[in-house]
Order: sequence, then structure tokens, then C-alpha cells
Amino acid sequence: MGTLGSALNISVQAMLADEAALSTTSNNIANANTPGYSRETANFAEAPPVQWGGQLYGTGVELTGITSQQSGVLQQLLNQDTQQQSQYNSFLTTMQQVQTLFNETSGSGLQSSITAFFNSLQQLSTDPSNTMYRQAVLTSAQNMAQNFNSASASLATLQQNADTSVTQSVNQINSLLPQIAQLNSQVSEAQSTGQNAGAFLDQRNQLITQLSGLINVSEIDAGNGNITLTTANGAPLVVGNKSFQLTTQPDSATGFQEVYSQGNNITSTISGGALGGALQARDTTIPSIISSLDSLASNLETSFNSVNQAGFDLNGNPGGNFFVPPPAGGTGAAATMSVAITDPAQIAASLNGTAGDNSNVNAMLALQNQAIVNGQTPLNAYSNLVFQIGNDVSTAQSEQQGAQASIQQVQNQIGSVSGVSINEEAANLIQYQQAYQAAAQVASVIQSLTSTVITMVSSVH
Amino acid sequence: MSIRVNPNIVPDLIASIEQAQQNAQTATQEMASGRSVNNLSDNPAAASALVNNDALTSENDQFLTNLSDLQGKFQAADSALNNAVQIMTTAISVGTEGANGTLSTSDRQAIAQQVQGLQQQMLALANTSYEGTYIFSGTNVTTQPFAQSGSSPSGVQYSGNSGVTSVQIGDGQSMQTNVGGDQIFTNANGNVFQALNDLANALTSGNGIDAANTEVQQAFSQLTTQRVFYGNALDQVQNSQTYLNQEQVNLSTQQNALVGANMTQVVANESESQVAEQAALTATSQILNLPTLLSYIK
Repeated sequence: MGTLGSALNISVQAMLADEAALSTTSNNIANANTPGYSRETANFAEAPPVQWGGQLYGTGVELTGITSQQSGVLQQLLNQDTQQQSQYNSFLTTMQQVQTLFNETSGSGLQSSITAFFNSLQQLSTDPSNTMYRQAVLTSAQNMAQNFNSASASLATLQQNADTSVTQSVNQINSLLPQIAQLNSQVSEAQSTGQNAGAFLDQRNQLITQLSGLINVSEIDAGNGNITLTTANGAPLVVGNKSFQLTTQPDSATGFQEVYSQGNNITSTISGGALGGALQARDTTIPSIISSLDSLASNLETSFNSVNQAGFDLNGNPGGNFFVPPPAGGTGAAATMSVAITDPAQIAASLNGTAGDNSNVNAMLALQNQAIVNGQTPLNAYSNLVFQIGNDVSTAQSEQQGAQASIQQVQNQIGSVSGVSINEEAANLIQYQQAYQAAAQVASVIQSLTSTVITMVSSVH
Repeated sequence: MSIRVNPNIVPDLIASIEQAQQNAQTATQEMASGRSVNNLSDNPAAASALVNNDALTSENDQFLTNLSDLQGKFQAADSALNNAVQIMTTAISVGTEGANGTLSTSDRQAIAQQVQGLQQQMLALANTSYEGTYIFSGTNVTTQPFAQSGSSPSGVQYSGNSGVTSVQIGDGQSMQTNVGGDQIFTNANGNVFQALNDLANALTSGNGIDAANTEVQQAFSQLTTQRVFYGNALDQVQNSQTYLNQEQVNLSTQQNALVGANMTQVVANESESQVAEQAALTATSQILNLPTLLSYIK
């Protein structure tokens, strides 16, 4: 029924709705720079009309709710890109140090000491009885062995550092999981009572993105506002309001921490995030480099030993081991490489026992061009390793840059849905201010009309 | 309705500043090192090829050092043999003089003594050592090769062997570095000591001087033939030095092609990236200072 009272009521409702909208706008502006904040909008709807005397009368405006502008699937894209980017970041943190160890472009690495060893033998071949030249061979052999030792030790240290970051990542994951589980229940509670769950959704999104920076997670919408999180192979991390902690336990063989979920070793299935990158460096890439070095060292040692044993030393005695024989199978050969000979005279340069014969030195020199390391010459085996390391780093760098660009793009897309635009909020502010003023003006007119009626009634009496 | 864009442009702006800074840093690093490859990952293939290039360069340096060592030894041997040839020339001329029938016995005795003196000189030359080892001892370099011996028909005993050594003087290239002393001085085709001994004996006794002279001639030509080895070796050393020096230039050119920075390009990149960085900074500050609609609400 179109009465003054209902008109006044309509204008008061309008003012209340505008106040809510103004408050939303104010909240948006306040959070314009808050990371992860999704802008909110006030939803207005026509209030249901009433029928009176065959006429339908509108009853004004109604605030139906505040909606958080969530970006939905974009958030999952962001998380996937974050998993990749963090994985390569963490891998590169280790591998960039590894490539410094073998940076032949700045003169570090093993090439110069391997070549120096062969060069000292070249020198000895011109004058095999020269004790100074013999001493130079010993010194350069010891130097080469030390370089192998320290390269191997540095790799082991980097592997150890990666292992430490595995434990750190697992701890960070474990501190995120219960927070996400709690937010699951807050979101589902808010949604079940029809509340705006925006703030909880934003927080949960932030935490899941943080988690994605640590490990590859699968997100499943479990309904009722719950998100189920599992690792790539399905080990549960968060289900409803429950979280499942990961644990670490040292491997009996390597001593490195293995990652367990619910008693199962899931280490080999983790591929993304900082954890995935650290595991990749620790368990795959560095071991493969160490094994290449071991193979190079053990083949050099074995080959030199057999050539030295075939000759005679300066005193005419049969040659013995040049290097301390490497461990069986070659594992650890680079770390333990050492020269067995202590007396320069023991280098078996001669093949016939005479001091001036250099045939056996020439046989040692020939090893330089023989395929004694898995079908390759020693230097080619080493230069292949250098290529492999450079290539691993360069591939990871481009992947990392790709993921970074992708993240930037997804973040722009998310921003286009959820980001607060100051201009937009300012326009809303003007709009709601004017609507509020108009509603207030209407109320004021009705007030004046009401006093007219009251004056009219009192003058009748 | 237009598409809503991300209102937060700060990350994009910062990314473009960072990109410009990174480009400038790369250019500066290349300028400082003179190399376009400063990490293995900059160009793994070039870094790997550099390993072989550096190794070859270092090997060639060693070959060059070896060659100058060998050169010293060859020169010592050549000079000793040159003196030996002169001794034989003297022996030929005194032998011819001794063959003159008008000489008195005492004159011949004097010449015979001269020949014995020549043999002593020859013995000293055959025992020439270079940097502590005997040159004409085969591979038995620590043993004095020739010693006077009454029991030997030639008057000397050879204690060396006929072992020869060969030394690498280039990638896959070796050369023989000695000839056994027996080849040079006590060769079956012309034995220097035997000839001098026979000549001295013939002069003393006055019998068979002509035959002894023929023997000395043969020994002389044999010695000259053997000396050619060291002359050739010295030539080969020089040739190899020339070759290796050229090879070093080639390797350095290759190295430059592999990892060297194109300086003109690098300098251009550097100034370009500085301009880009400046532009990114200016744009960022201008964009961030743009007024919003809020600025107009009174």
C-alpha cells in the first residue's frame, strides 16, 4: 500500500543498503594493497512488491549480501606455476653453486690440473732420468688428486645443504597444513550460514599458494567450502578440518632425510616446489655428477696403475701402483683419489729398465688419447660433464623464467577479477554517496509531508 | 563493456625495471671479462668446447717447452759431432802425411802420437753429456758410454745400448730424439775408434798405412752420415715450433669465437640497457604518480 509510512520505510532501507555498500567500498580501498585480498561487492536487489487494491507496490531495495570476487580456477593455475617456479628456484640455488665448481670459463675446474699432469709427463718424456721432472710429475699428480678430492667434497657439502633445505621445507609444510585445515572449517561454517567467506577464502588461497611453493599439491573441491589437498601421488595433506603432517627419517644408506606420509616413503614422488627442487638436486643431479667424477678418477687411477706396473722405475725395479687403487666399483674414487708413489724415482718411466728409456712414459701419455673412461678419453669425459652441468642449469633457468612469466600473467588475470581498482571504488563512492543523499532527501520530504498532515489534523480540532 | 584489467600494475612495472637491470648487469659482466660466456649455463656447448681448447693450448705450450729442451740437447749433440767430424778431417790429413814414404820412423811416431791424441779427443766427445745425462749412450744415459779398453780391438769399450727414445712434439706427432753411440762411433760400416786405433798402429809400425787411411775415410763418411740425423732433428724442431706457434694463434682465435664477447655489440647493449633502465624508472614513477578519480572528489 502506497502510504507515507511505507515511503519513509523505503528510504530508510535505501539508506541502510547504501551504508553497507559504502562500508564495502571503504573496506576495498583499505585493502587495496593487501596481498591476496579479493575485492568485495555489495549486492542490491529489489525488495518483493506488495499487492494492495489490485496494484503492485514496490517496497524498495534490499541488500542481499556481500560477494567476494574470487578468481576460482585462476588460483589453481597460479599454484601450479608456483610449484614449478619454486622447484626450479630451489634446484638452481644448489646447481648454480655446482656450476661455479666447474666454471671452466673462469679457469676453475679440473681441466687445468688434468692437463698439467699430462704435461708434466710430456716433460718427463724428454728426459726420463731427470729427478726434477719426476718430482714435477708427482706434484702435479698430487695436485690433480687434491682437485678431485675437493670437487667431490664440495659436491657432498652442497648435497648436505640441499638435505637441510628438505627438512626446512617439510617443517614449513607442516606449519601450513593445520592452518589450511582450520580455514576449511571456517569457510564451510560461514558458507553454511550464508555469510561472506571472502576473508577466509583469501587467507586459504594465500596459504595454498605458499604450500605450492614448497611441494606439488593437488587441489580437489570437496564441496561445502572444503578443499582437499593431496601430494601428487595422492598422499593426504588436508582433508576437511584434518591435516596430515609429513615426517622425515634418514635413509639408512645415504643418511639423507626421506619424506614420509602416514608411514609411507613418498620421497621419489615429490617433484614440485622447493622440496621437489632440493630433492632433485640432492638425489638425482649431484649424485650423477659425483658418479661421473668417480668414474673419471677410478679409470685414470686404474689405467695409470697398470701402465706403471708394466714398466721399471729409475732404480731398475718393477713399477708398482701409481695411485692408491680406487674402491671397487669406483664409488667414492674422486673423494679418495691419492698418489701411492712417494719417491719420484718410483715412477716407472722405462720399459726396458734403463734410466734413459721413456717408452713407459709415452705409454702413460698415450692414455690421454685413449678411450679409458666409459668409451671416452679422460678430457672428453670431463668436457661432457661440463656440458651436462651447464645444460642442466641453463634448462632449469629457462623453465624457471617461463614459470615466472606465467605467474606474472596469471597474477594479472587474477588481479583483473579480484584486484581493487581505486578509480572503480571512487566511482562507487560517488554513486552510493549520491544515492544516500537522495534517500535522505526523500525521507526529509516525507517528514515535511507528515508534518503537513499533522498540522492539518490539529487545525481541524 | 570493456575488459577489466588488473588494477595493480606495480609487479609488471617492477618486472620491467628488473629486466632492464639484469640486461645492464649482463652487459657489464661481458665488458669486464671480455667474454660472452661467463657461466657454464650461458652456453654449455661453448663452455664444453672451451675445456678442449684450453687443454690443447696448454699442451701446445708444453710441446713448445719440450722442443726448446730438445733443441738444446740436439745442438749439444750436433756440435759434438761437428767437432768429431773435424777430428776425422785432421786424421785424414795427418794419415795422408804419414803415408808419405820419405818420412822417418820418428816422424811417423810423432804423427802416430798425434792420432792417439785425436782418439782421446774423440773419446771425450763421444762421452758428451747434456744436463747430467750422456747423449750418445742410447737409453743407458746414466752410464758413461765409451771407456778405454786394452782388450777391445778398437781400443774402446761401449757400455751404452742401441735404445732410442721418441718424444711427442705435437698432437699425435712424435720424433726420434737420439741415435745410439754404437751407431755413430762404432758402426760396422765405419768404426771411428777402430779406424783411429788402426791408423795409430799402422803409423807406429809403418805397415798398412794406406789401408788404415781408407778405413779412416770410411769412418769419416759414416760419421758425417750419422750427424745428418741431428741436423734434420734441429730442422724438425724449428718446423714444429713454427707450426705450434701458428696453432696457438688458431686456438686463440677459436677460443675467441667460442666465448669471446663482441665488444662493439656489448658496448651497444650496455648503453641500450642503460637507456631502457632509465626509461623503465621514469615510466614507473610517472604511472605511479598519476591521479585517481579520488583526487577529484571534493
